Amino acid sequence: MSDEVRFSLTVDGTSHEVTARWSESLLTVLRDRLGVRGPKTGCAHGRCGACAVRADLGDGDPHVLCACLVPAATAAGGTVETIASIGGPDGELSDVQEAFLAEGAVQCGICTAGFVTAATELLESNPEPTRTEIEEALYGNLCRCTGYGRIVAAVETAARTRRGEAR
Amino acid sequence: MREQAQLGGVGTSARRPDGPAKVRGEFTYAGDLAAEGMLVGVTLRSPHPHARITRIDTAAARALPGVHAVLTADDVPGDLHFGLTLRDEPVLADGVVRYAGEPVAVVAAVDAATAGRAARAVEVDYEPLPALTDPQLSLTAEPLHPDGNVYRHVSYRCGDPDARGVVTVENTYRIGMQDPAFLAPEAGLAWPTPDGGVAIDVATQWLHSDQQQIGWATGLPPEKVHVRLAGVGGAFGGREDVTLQTHACLLALATGRPVKFEYTREESFLAHRQRHPGTIWLRHSADASGRIVSVEGRVLLDGGAYASTSPVVITNTVTLLQGPYRVDNGRFEGWSVRTNNPSCGAMRGFGVPQAAFAHEAQLDALAAALGMDPVEVRLHNALQRGDVATYGQRFDAPTPVREVLEGVRAVPLPQGPARNAPGGVGRSAEGGTVRRGVGYAVTIKNLAFSEGHVDESTAEVSLCDGHATVHTACAEVGQGFVTVAEQVARTVLGASTVEVTQPDTLIASAGSTSASRQTMASGTAVHRACLAVRDRLLGRVAREHGLDAAELTVADGVVCAAGQPLTTVAEAAPGRTFRATEHFQHPDTHPLGSPEARMYVGYGFSAQRAVVDVDVELGLVSVVQIASCQDVGTVINPTQLLGQIEGGIVQGMGLALMEEVVVADGRITNPDFQDYLIPTIIDAPEIVSTYVTDPQPGMPHGWKGVGEPPLCTAVPVVAAAVRAATGLALPAVPIKPEHIALGLGTPPTVTWTTPRPADPTLIGTVVLADEEVEDALGTMAEEGASPGR
Ligand code: FES
Ligand code: FES
Repeated sequence: MSDEVRFSLTVDGTSHEVTARWSESLLTVLRDRLGVRGPKTGCAHGRCGACAVRADLGDGDPHVLCACLVPAATAAGGTVETIASIGGPDGELSDVQEAFLAEGAVQCGICTAGFVTAATELLESNPEPTRTEIEEALYGNLCRCTGYGRIVAAVETAARTRRGEAR
Repeated sequence: MREQAQLGGVGTSARRPDGPAKVRGEFTYAGDLAAEGMLVGVTLRSPHPHARITRIDTAAARALPGVHAVLTADDVPGDLHFGLTLRDEPVLADGVVRYAGEPVAVVAAVDAATAGRAARAVEVDYEPLPALTDPQLSLTAEPLHPDGNVYRHVSYRCGDPDARGVVTVENTYRIGMQDPAFLAPEAGLAWPTPDGGVAIDVATQWLHSDQQQIGWATGLPPEKVHVRLAGVGGAFGGREDVTLQTHACLLALATGRPVKFEYTREESFLAHRQRHPGTIWLRHSADASGRIVSVEGRVLLDGGAYASTSPVVITNTVTLLQGPYRVDNGRFEGWSVRTNNPSCGAMRGFGVPQAAFAHEAQLDALAAALGMDPVEVRLHNALQRGDVATYGQRFDAPTPVREVLEGVRAVPLPQGPARNAPGGVGRSAEGGTVRRGVGYAVTIKNLAFSEGHVDESTAEVSLCDGHATVHTACAEVGQGFVTVAEQVARTVLGASTVEVTQPDTLIASAGSTSASRQTMASGTAVHRACLAVRDRLLGRVAREHGLDAAELTVADGVVCAAGQPLTTVAEAAPGRTFRATEHFQHPDTHPLGSPEARMYVGYGFSAQRAVVDVDVELGLVSVVQIASCQDVGTVINPTQLLGQIEGGIVQGMGLALMEEVVVADGRITNPDFQDYLIPTIIDAPEIVSTYVTDPQPGMPHGWKGVGEPPLCTAVPVVAAAVRAATGLALPAVPIKPEHIALGLGTPPTVTWTTPRPADPTLIGTVVLADEEVEDALGTMAEEGASPGR
């Protein structure tokens, strides 16, 4: 088809040659073309954060974004880290993932990959976030199940663990 | 039965067994499913809320390359109609469409783009008909459907409904339509099976209900319809009705290929059932001490185009209008009716949030009229064990209304300013216009299925070398049944590892994951099956050691004889599998009005106190704190329990302050997360959660369901706090900024039969610019609208 674009994209350390329609989102490319199912589709309009990934779209500025809002062509040559890049190679969990489990921040879990991604990014830039800073970092992620209390607790626990404080 | 605490057992904060996969992003949700040779299904939906289909031509769609099937009502081999209660809804439109979004045709094609093009290529000529969107008018309008417009009319009285105390408070309340808004839109994958049947992996709440309805549509016997649970991303009632299940199966059978459906967010709003919007009129009369003398109530719920659970929801709303209060004299009536609005059905709370919003506003208005403390009025009227409900059922189990109220009152009030000013980050107003309000609410929620609906579950448990496997048809939708099942297997069997297998229809029904019932129903079935397996294991060990099985116990994975360790569960019978299947059924219940008088299996009670800050100029609200005290039977998993309470409260807060499916001329105008707002992490308040543990008779460990009461209470409690902050009546939820900023509403009608005491401060309750509704309700009552045409 005429509106196809071809480009390379590195996802979780593996480079791919992608053929996609230019109007497709990065999320569609990840999920439907590359079979990378960690990022989820909640709204496809940038309103829920279920699709959050950490990406460097070629400008040398990796940050968390909604994959559903990025047109595929914009991702050309980019580097994307999904939830699969968080945690150890043999399935060990990161401190954030551990904390999400320990604090009961996971119910249905469809929002979890997005929250873990955003929370990981937050703690990298701000190891001691206040409650308000946690809220500002995570308000683009919706959770319909937990009421957020356990999620805040998980981020606080992960921050404490990272600073070497006992829980 | 006494069972000891054990690591990961009942009473501990055991972690979710599906948690590691979920935090890694590796858990397979229904939307992640794929199969070799899979086709993609797409639904063509009616743009009209009411229209006759005069022509439908699929030839052009079928001719498109890559299209494998295009089906309309004519292609449904089995029964065209389905439904959870009444079978009034067509699988595909049967010549008339009755709501905007009704499925008209379905397509299977090689990919989503092709399927979408094909759906658009289906030619449908509609002759639009007038849309009946006002539930008032539905009572007297021409029937929209051969089954008539009234899904159910409920009416009963007790004592002397005309009894009056010194003060009477009456008002009309309105509740908007709430969307379950689970975060993973509907998805499923169906494929034909070699025996001529069909199988489907689907995100659902009730596998056997899907199986039955797929059987109707396909004409296949149940044994040829195999339903398996796919990963579910939230449900909250919105997955109880069939949506894509029948379509996917029909297309799989028609094409001989696997067919996957995955709705978009917009389509999800159109396709599933919402919470019933409604109008409730209530008149409470009380004596000078604040004791309720009589309650009269009328309810009108808009059920939308098809029945779904509307005939059941209305009974909940009407019977629980009395709230958790003793009411000796009353008159209650309600209708759920058909319109050309979206179909409404189950959502967490199932008719009770509507009732709770109204009765709690009334209690506050009574307290204000009498100059009493709102909590004292509630305590004064609190139901107690042994009391009889207005519908005749005796409260014969713990009824800790006072306890939950006192529990919540004991939580210290938050000091200092709110974390977030009203409006959230960046939208706040000046501090001078912010006022703090405190409100209380307490509610009663029936637990489990009611009115004679069979409420049962079956579990199969096996144990081999300390490894237990649990199989049920209970849908895990995020609520944590899988954790509870593991905890039970660890505690009862001393199993070192537990696997909860994928639920499917190869085992008997577990019923729906709704009505706060699965811990009680499937949890108890698992418990019984574990006990039976344990007996078998111990019998075998006893024979081997020449002991009496009655002397043997299991604790922490160790088999003990007379309290002394004998062997471990893992090593007790190498290679040997012990297996048991057990069934649980709740006590029988009976329809409203039957002489047996038991409608409900049991109840949960919840009290909350909300503290809010309101910017009265801009109408913005920040919920500072919600303190909750809930009666939970016993605590099975403290962390999961807290998650259920917090999640429910925030959903209820959403209904109170921001969530409304806006329907204009029968069409949803905000079917997305840009215009349908659910609470974010910034909106969520601090939640302080306390519990009353009063074991529920007849349940292992005395446990009871907990998922719905927090939501039921959060709706009235947030409204009460906003009223307290503003002095406004606010008789409608969601409370919108303009309701506050423009002071919309009028004071309640308060009537004194004796001279009114000097200067009780009146905090009004009100009719929100909707005299029409009130008038119509009045007319309706005068004319005695006829039930059940
Ligand atoms: S799916 Fe991307 S933000 Fe919702
Ligand atoms: S856990 Fe279900 S949406 Fe967050």
